[in-house]
Amino acid sequence: MSATNSRFTASAILLVWGIILVYFQLSGRITSYLHPDFHIPTFVAGIVLLAISGALLFTFQTAGPSQANDCGSRHPFGGGILAIALLLAPLLCAVWISQGRYSANTVMNRGIVTDSAQLPTFFSPVDPDLPGESGTPVDGSMMDPSLYLKKNAEGYIIAETVDLLYGASEEGMRADFENKDVEVKGQFISMRTGNPNGDRFQLMRLFVMCCAADARPVAITVQAKPGTQFPEMTWVKVLGKATFPVEGGRHIAVIEASAISETEPPAESFNY
Amino acid sequence: MNQPWFSFSLPDFSYAFLSVLLEGVPFILLGTLMSGLIDQFLPARVMTRFLPRSPFAGVCVSALLGLVFPMCECGIVPVIRRLIAKGLPVSNAVAYMLAAPIVNPITALSTYAAFRGQGAAEFTVLRLGLGFFIAALAGIAVYNLSIGSVLKKEILESVALGSANAGGGGGAPLSRRLVAAMDAGVRDFLDVMLYFIVGAAAASVFGTAVDQSLFLPLALHDWLAVPSMMALAGILALCSSSDAFVAATFVSFPAVAKLAFLVFGPMMDLKLVFIYAAVFRRRFVFGLAVGLFVLIGLICVRLSVITL
Repeated sequence: MSATNSRFTASAILLVWGIILVYFQLSGRITSYLHPDFHIPTFVAGIVLLAISGALLFTFQTAGPSQANDCGSRHPFGGGILAIALLLAPLLCAVWISQGRYSANTVMNRGIVTDSAQLPTFFSPVDPDLPGESGTPVDGSMMDPSLYLKKNAEGYIIAETVDLLYGASEEGMRADFENKDVEVKGQFISMRTGNPNGDRFQLMRLFVMCCAADARPVAITVQAKPGTQFPEMTWVKVLGKATFPVEGGRHIAVIEASAISETEPPAESFNY
Repeated sequence: MNQPWFSFSLPDFSYAFLSVLLEGVPFILLGTLMSGLIDQFLPARVMTRFLPRSPFAGVCVSALLGLVFPMCECGIVPVIRRLIAKGLPVSNAVAYMLAAPIVNPITALSTYAAFRGQGAAEFTVLRLGLGFFIAALAGIAVYNLSIGSVLKKEILESVALGSANAGGGGGAPLSRRLVAAMDAGVRDFLDVMLYFIVGAAAASVFGTAVDQSLFLPLALHDWLAVPSMMALAGILALCSSSDAFVAATFVSFPAVAKLAFLVFGPMMDLKLVFIYAAVFRRRFVFGLAVGLFVLIGLICVRLSVITL
């Protein structure tokens, strides 16, 4: 490939990559793919790629003579048609095909986490505050749950699946939710085992450390009317009472549902 | 209901693949921009002047360079490629390449945070210590190999070119050198991206299509848990700055298996096999993968007497 063609080809490839990275940020699609910590670096990388793409063209005259003196390996791009195809086709196909979510098949392949001890960032519960001289916790040392638990218009605590999962293993957090009305959004997964009466399903969210590729499905159990069914991975809103019965030798999170409805996916695609 | 061990879905694969690309590009771009600047502004052989003359000490110091110049496993390959062209001995480059993603402050902090309550300090020291030891050992092993059996032909040629142009672009005007640095960076970026795309695709197939519960029964025996966790690290291809958070969740696996996961993964995984192939001969990459797997596996199984 000549120096000129190499320069234009490299510029075009970087342009495509830059546009896609910037598009993901500006369109908001990036929220379904990456942890928020990575949004800015990806956006900046897109801008830099666009800048370099332009610079490759604008510096054509500056670089031209030296490029001509060097062997082909000094060109910005030394590959052929196959390399161009490999650099662009998988990316463009993935952008086109990817739906920004996993199917139930991949969720099952990854295994559903139902115990907070298996969650990244899980730390063993700490002891509650020591009592003061009166025998009760020192005033102000334990925050009033109403200060940090949001409620919907009907007075239901708006909780995440991961909150209730932690509640199952942490006594302090369990007290915040136990026997209280909660509203939880998640994706419907039918119970494959441990559902003899056919009245349970799992409410799943993806827990992410970096990107969707390392997502761990996190689920709690919902007790509903027998035969409650939705297509797998449908987003549903569950209203009901949070309970933490002991099953299999440990507390598990179970919502005794009073109302279940299909809903829009939340703004935050993942739990972090 | 029995789940098949392999069930491929193109949209799921595309989702995982795209997320790996979006996450990895900034780091590869950073590494390749650095490599372009090294190409034009770092005089050849300057690195060797600052490193100890003894090959053993040089390799050991190189394995600690990540403490000062931290790089992730994706971004480091273009950097060492350029450093090799600038005269850094291949043994030192391999030691730096293998150690830097582990022996650096960011990984140390994330490991400590992830293993709070599970012997965090001991685990962090063991991870960094073992990472350093393995990288230094690999560097010494590479020192005893001929350079032609390690580097790809094009890289060998660039080493010769680097020696011939010892001054780099020293005599040229700054604007010309900046343009040349950009060209070199772009060339490295596109080269490495070719391999990264293939590696990310392979990792995404395994990450979405393979039933990962198959690994769980292996947790019961140290001599099975250690290699299976290393295999998992190779398949998942996680970033070294956050892999500790994932490793810490494998509660049913013994600590040494998690240690093996955290040392092997940043040194060798599916995407790295392809990225390394941008610099090294395929036979060398294969040998390195097998060597690291066996060495880290044996050491970690031996360490199973330690209770964390």
